[in-house]
Amino acid sequence: MAKIKALKCKECGREYPVEPLHVCEFCFGPLEVEYDYDEIKKNISRDKIKKGPVSLWRYVDLLPVENPTVGLNAGFTPLVKAENLGKELGLNNLYIKDDSVNHPTLSFKDRVVAVALSKAKEFGFDTAACASTGNLANSVSALAASAGMNCYVFIPSNLETNKIIGSLVFNPVVVAVDGNYDDVNRLSSEVANEFGWAFVNINLRPFYSEGSKTLAFEVAEQLGWKTPDAVVAPLASGSLYTKIWKGFNEFKKVGILEENEKMPRMYGAQALGCSPIYKAFKEGRDWITPEKPDTIAKSIAIGNPADGPYAVKVTRESNGDMEVATNEEIIEGIKLLARTEGIFTETAGGTTIAVLKKFAEKGVFDKDEVVVAYITGNGYKTMEVLEGHLNKPIHIKPTLAEFKEKVVGQTINK
Amino acid sequence: MTGMKLKLIYPEEKIKEPILSKLCKTFDVDINIRKANVQENIGWLELEMTGDESEIENAIKWLQQQGVEVSPLEGQVFTE
Repeated sequence: MAKIKALKCKECGREYPVEPLHVCEFCFGPLEVEYDYDEIKKNISRDKIKKGPVSLWRYVDLLPVENPTVGLNAGFTPLVKAENLGKELGLNNLYIKDDSVNHPTLSFKDRVVAVALSKAKEFGFDTAACASTGNLANSVSALAASAGMNCYVFIPSNLETNKIIGSLVFNPVVVAVDGNYDDVNRLSSEVANEFGWAFVNINLRPFYSEGSKTLAFEVAEQLGWKTPDAVVAPLASGSLYTKIWKGFNEFKKVGILEENEKMPRMYGAQALGCSPIYKAFKEGRDWITPEKPDTIAKSIAIGNPADGPYAVKVTRESNGDMEVATNEEIIEGIKLLARTEGIFTETAGGTTIAVLKKFAEKGVFDKDEVVVAYITGNGYKTMEVLEGHLNKPIHIKPTLAEFKEKVVGQTINK
Repeated sequence: MTGMKLKLIYPEEKIKEPILSKLCKTFDVDINIRKANVQENIGWLELEMTGDESEIENAIKWLQQQGVEVSPLEGQVFTE
């Protein structure tokens, strides 16, 4: 375990052994993996990374896992040069980091869960768990199945079962809790502390969240070992966003990036109907006031985000900013990305694109700056949000005359 | 006996009430406050509550009935 020194409290700095712990017993601050960067610097190199697997595991030297066994194909998703969208927004170097095609369940969650469950196997856990009806449940269920682990998924009982078909197919035990999502949260926390289970975003959170750093590592490598000038990413718990920042900084620290490489400005995107981090940032607070989410962007609707204060800090430190998007702007964001780049994202991605557009219109990016927008999930999972927002088919009789009149006449040169 | 780490957020109108004191008199639980920020218009506490499982669950329900927002220390982990 030479590369990892300990788990360290982000608040008071107290150190703990590398075990499935997540909270400082003294100040209740979150624990984070503390690496031995001098040791890592001796082992890591661009060449070694390039010869590694075509997955997030090519960066294993900077991940808290010794022997990856779960999610071996996760990560290393395309970085798409968005020429058409860039033209519309007046940006000459706009890129989309496209985790809508992540393996195996089409969202960035496959990264964090791959790391969490590989670590869970190392710790000797045989059961994985999470509380989710969406991308997280999909990923935990699929990767637990492939790892031969038992799997428990906790959901509020009033949600329709068809929301979790994409998880049920992997045969987890689904526990429908008689209560709302607050009750599911509390029960999950109790279960995680009482049972010897790998609850990915509770007792394995320090390891789980590290997986998001690979979103920064990949972008830096795909840009030719450079950082972008600016990053736009969604804010849910704040974990993904802060770990992207950490990833770029770590790459510099261990010498993969040049010593004088400038760190990107970080721009955060929230849905207007669930924007506790945005509000804390704009009001200059370092604490979060929880909200009851009311937005179509359900995959990022976290009203009480654990890493919110750290996301605020990163935004300030990087000279970035935050913005919010309404439901209508989110839908328009989904449609804009699809129409210009042929990428179908879900509401979190729609939020990111809507906020990217707002910042571009405000002129916060120079036209030649390298801007990367992170698309974290796939639109095919939540197609219902687009009902009533798309063009309808043109109905015709099977005659050439009607085809000419109704199709050719109305669409060509339009 | 079990312990639960919780974050409590008080609405402004409840800040003047001795809610935790009443809680300890009503339920057989112990409270150990680790971190807090109480001002005239905001109050939040991070604490550990120990006691029997059912007593803790009843105490949490009572706190919620008083208008206090109670969440596990981990914040919202459930995602749709």
